[in-house]
Parts: sequence; C-alpha cells; structure tokens
Amino acid sequence: MNARERVLAAINHREPDGIPVDIGSTPSSGISAIAHYNLKHYIGRPDWPTQVYDVVQQIAQPGDEMLDRFGIDVIDIGRAFDDRPEDWYDITLPDGTPVQFPTWFKPSPQPDGAWDVFNENGVRVATMPLGATFFDQTCFPFIDGYPDSYADLPQIMPLIHWAGLTHSPWDHAGDADFWEQLRARALALRASSDRALMIVVGCNLFEWGTFLRRLDNFLVDIVTEPAQVERLLDALMEQHLKTLEKVCAAVGDVADVCRFGDDLGTDQGPFMSPKTYRQLFKPRHKILTDYVKQNSTMHTFLHSCGSIYKLLPDLIEAGFEIVNPVQTIARDMEPVRLKAEFGRDLTFWGGGADTRFTLNRGTPAAVKDDVRRNIEALSPGGGFVFNTVHNILPDVPPENIMAMFEAIDEYR
Amino acid sequence: MQEELLDAIFDAVMDGDIPGAPATVQAALDGGLDAETILRDGMIAAMTRVGELYECGDYYVAEMFTSAKALQAALVVLRPMLQQSQVQATGTVVIGTVKGDMHDIGKNLVTMMLEGAGYAVHDLGADVHPSRFVAAVEEVHPDLVALSALLTTTMPSMQATVDALTTAGLRERVKVMIGGAPVNEEYAEHIGADGYAQDASQAVSLANALMQVKAQRSA
Repeated sequence: MNARERVLAAINHREPDGIPVDIGSTPSSGISAIAHYNLKHYIGRPDWPTQVYDVVQQIAQPGDEMLDRFGIDVIDIGRAFDDRPEDWYDITLPDGTPVQFPTWFKPSPQPDGAWDVFNENGVRVATMPLGATFFDQTCFPFIDGYPDSYADLPQIMPLIHWAGLTHSPWDHAGDADFWEQLRARALALRASSDRALMIVVGCNLFEWGTFLRRLDNFLVDIVTEPAQVERLLDALMEQHLKTLEKVCAAVGDVADVCRFGDDLGTDQGPFMSPKTYRQLFKPRHKILTDYVKQNSTMHTFLHSCGSIYKLLPDLIEAGFEIVNPVQTIARDMEPVRLKAEFGRDLTFWGGGADTRFTLNRGTPAAVKDDVRRNIEALSPGGGFVFNTVHNILPDVPPENIMAMFEAIDEYR
Repeated sequence: MQEELLDAIFDAVMDGDIPGAPATVQAALDGGLDAETILRDGMIAAMTRVGELYECGDYYVAEMFTSAKALQAALVVLRPMLQQSQVQATGTVVIGTVKGDMHDIGKNLVTMMLEGAGYAVHDLGADVHPSRFVAAVEEVHPDLVALSALLTTTMPSMQATVDALTTAGLRERVKVMIGGAPVNEEYAEHIGADGYAQDASQAVSLANALMQVKAQRSA
C-alpha cells in the first residue's frame, strides 16, 4: 500500500498494512513552530526551514524531508502555495526561536512585549501577550448584539483573526485566479506525491457564533435567543455553501478528505445539550456534508475538541465519517469505549498521543506506553489514523516526539 | 407568600431568565424579605441546584452560563441591600488568569459561580502578573486566591504566583486553588497550591471545603 491507499483503507474500515500517520495535514493536527525548531535541531537537521504557515496558532508546515523521515501519510493541499523562498521572511519569536513568517504577516511588537496584529484599516484583530505562543482574537464584531442585516457579513468575517490571518491555501483566496490555481496546484501535488490529500474548509457554525458574539454571549444566546442564532447560522450557511461549491468544483475529485471544524466540547462534556445541537446545528451540518458527498469524492472530517461523546450519534447522522482530535483525556472519551460504541461508524483521526500531560511532561517510556495503548484500542479493523490529540505544543521535548514515532513504528 | 417570592427567584435563576431575574429580587424585597434570606434561600439555593444538574449531566455549560448570567443580573439589585444590612459573605476570593494567558471565560464562569455561592469576589482579570496578586492579597485580605490558566505554556505562571505569595510572606494567610485545561490535582500539589477543581461547579465545592479547613485551623 502507498500512503494514500493506507489512509483510504483506514477510512473505509479496512485494516491497512500499517498504521497511517498524520502530523501536519491540518492546522489542528500538526506541530508548533517552536517544537518543530527544537525537533529539527535534536535530530541534526537544523537546515530544515521552520515555516509558520498557520500564524494564529504558530504551526509549522512539515517539509518534504520531514514527511519522509517520519513516514507521514497525508498532506494539506495548502502546502502547494507559498512555495517560493520569497513568500517567507526570517523573524525571531519572542522566546528567541528563529522561524519564517509568510511575507503578508507583520505583527507589531508593543511596549509591554505583546505582539499585536492590525488589519489594513488599523483595527487590532489579534494579540500574542508576552509569554504566550499563539495569537488570540481581539475583535468581536457582534459583541453588542445581532445586526438587522447580514448583507455585509463577507466583509465582517475577516475581522476575526481565524479568517483574516488564515493559513494556506486561503491566504491566497483573494488572488484573481485563486480557484484555477487551487486546482492546478492540487493536481500537481497529486502527481508528485503518493500521500493522501486534505483540504481544510472549516465551515464552522457554533464556533462562528462564538467568534462573532464571543463565547460567553453565544452560549447564553443558544439557550435564550434561538431565533437570532438561527438567523445568524443561515447567513453563515450561505457563505459556507458558496465556499463548498467552489471547493468541490476545484478539488472535489482531487482531495481525499474535506476537513470541517466546529469545537463542540469542553473537557467535561459538550457545550450544549444534544437537544440543542439537534435543533440548531445538526440540520445545517447535514446540509454541508450532503453537499460534499453529492458533489465530490471527498470524505467528511470533523475537527471538534473536547468531550463530544454525547453528541457522537448525532454527528454520525449529520454525515461526518471522521472525527478529530479524539480528546481521549476528556470525560467519556476513553479510546476503548469510543471504539466499542462508534468504531463501526466513525474513523478516529487522533487520540494517538496525549498532548496535554504525557507528551509534554511524561518520560519517553510513558509516551511510548500511551501511544501503544491508544493504537491498540483504536486501530483494529481500520477506522484509525494516528494523530496526536491536537497540535504538538511548544513545550513538548523532542525526545518525546521521537519516542512517539518509535512506538508508532512498532505498528507499521 | 414568602415561599412564592423565593420560588420565583429560584426559578428565574434556574431557567436563566436574565431579563426577568432582577424583578423577582425586587418583588421579594418589596414583599419584606431580607437580603440575606433572598441570597441564601433564593439565589444560592438555585445555583447549588444548577451545579448539581451540571454534575449529573442534565445541564450543560450553556445552561450553567445562562443561569450564572441571570444570577448576576439579580445581584445588581440585591448587592446594595446586602451591603446595607452588612450580610457576611461566605468568603472573600481574589481571582485571575495568570501572567501570559488572556483566556478568561472559564475564570469568569468560576467568578459568577462563586458569587452565586455567596462569595465576595475580586476579579483581577486576565494576564495578571504575580505582583498584582500579591498587591491584591495585601489590600483585600482574601480567604482564597483562585488562579486560572488555559495553556500548558502559561501554567508555570501559577507556580510563579504561588512563589510570589510565599516570598511576600502572605502564603499562610490564604488558600490557593487552581483550575484550567492543562492543570490537575497533581500539578496543584507540585506547585504548592491547596486544591484543584476541574470545572466551575466543582470550584465552588472546593472553595467551600477550603473555607472549612481555614475555619478549623483558626478555631
């Protein structure tokens, strides 16, 4: 099996010839720039560039040599953009780590040590306080209430840092020939690589509510103002379906996986009851996944952090085939339980290594135990792609990343 | 009559009736109930029930948040009356998200839940330097200091804050509780904090337990 066949076998619930592995195919399944820098020095490859392709979370794009070295089976179509040296410039992060930023991303250091980001109109859209390692949203356009009209929603959405400072390929979405370029570059990537291809579309619904209204307000809204919430969601759906239409036309026959996002869980359980999910979000998620299934050959993938065990039956009905990051230390998210109850219906893309305690602060031996335990619980019969639980954060020592790959290698 | 007035407050908080909750408190005051009874038997009782429903999975974060907001709205009416009649708070808390971390939604929910349990809470906000916690402890003499962090990369600021309290000679005067995604019981012990709570509901239980320990020690 080649890498792509391995990933597709897993998604089709057939056991591949070895565990398929993802590090870096989405901005929530990758490696932070600082961890990437530390890793490349540890393994004697200081020549690898550390290119921060998701500037919000400060995530590095794994280069071709890294993909080969660690046997990574899936890549993001976005890597086909920003592929010239002049697309990047050298910069030193506040902690002293030398990295590269895309040329369009120019944060402004502040007297207190924070790095702020302003848009072309001078609006502060993000900040990274001194000591932090990613950018937080600072602009909440609907914080004071819902607008009467959503006519200008497309102009408002880029005020949210996730959209305004977005990762490739979407940092090029404003280019006149973007959709033609997307197809051409995806096809070139398909021709040059035997890895599975990911396209990250987001199309978040609950999260867009929290971006626009701020989490605390939107949580109250879904309880007290469902009609206003539905109006907003319908306006968002209009934008999302426009995006999906273009994505399916451009790469629906090239990409293997279409990655949606909507963080629905906290550590202790979903943000909302299954009843609320069914009322407000499920029908709309279903429209999005139906569109992809009817208009492309891509598989549907949902990234949702937290404990979503109680929502999984509804998420399956909403049309998601793959869930990520499988936050195994959250309540009710034990790998054995998830596999037993939902293993026939879902592919678990994640849950391979805990990135909150074990990978960050455990010994290499503890990391290996964690990885082996998770693989043995989740991989039988296919339906599993190895990925850390979310990104490998800056504080993860390279020894532990190596231990993780050594344990994975026992299964491939 | 009195029971009906208290029930109305209880229901408004439970149902997350943010616009309606203040009027139920006003009606109870007009009906002759004292501020302390309204607080204890109406509002704290309701938030305790909200916490129980959250713990057993009937309420979700969205419902808990909405109830907490309704309680906040009701407290605006009640707070001047509580001050006037010098009702003792359950305890005094200084709370903040630690240096380098600007995530405050979890901390804000804990603040509201603690207020709902009758605590006087001094919220220092987010990205709070250890020296500001020290200054606040010197100024308001709290029983508890509550520290929040969302990131594995900012949780060391919790250690720095505990150390700063120790250096300032204030550590013995307060109980320190911590919470947030990257921390756990073991980490609380490691940095010399007095306890860890995994969510806003359990933060209230922990605060109550720490208050008891404190009371026993000073008795």
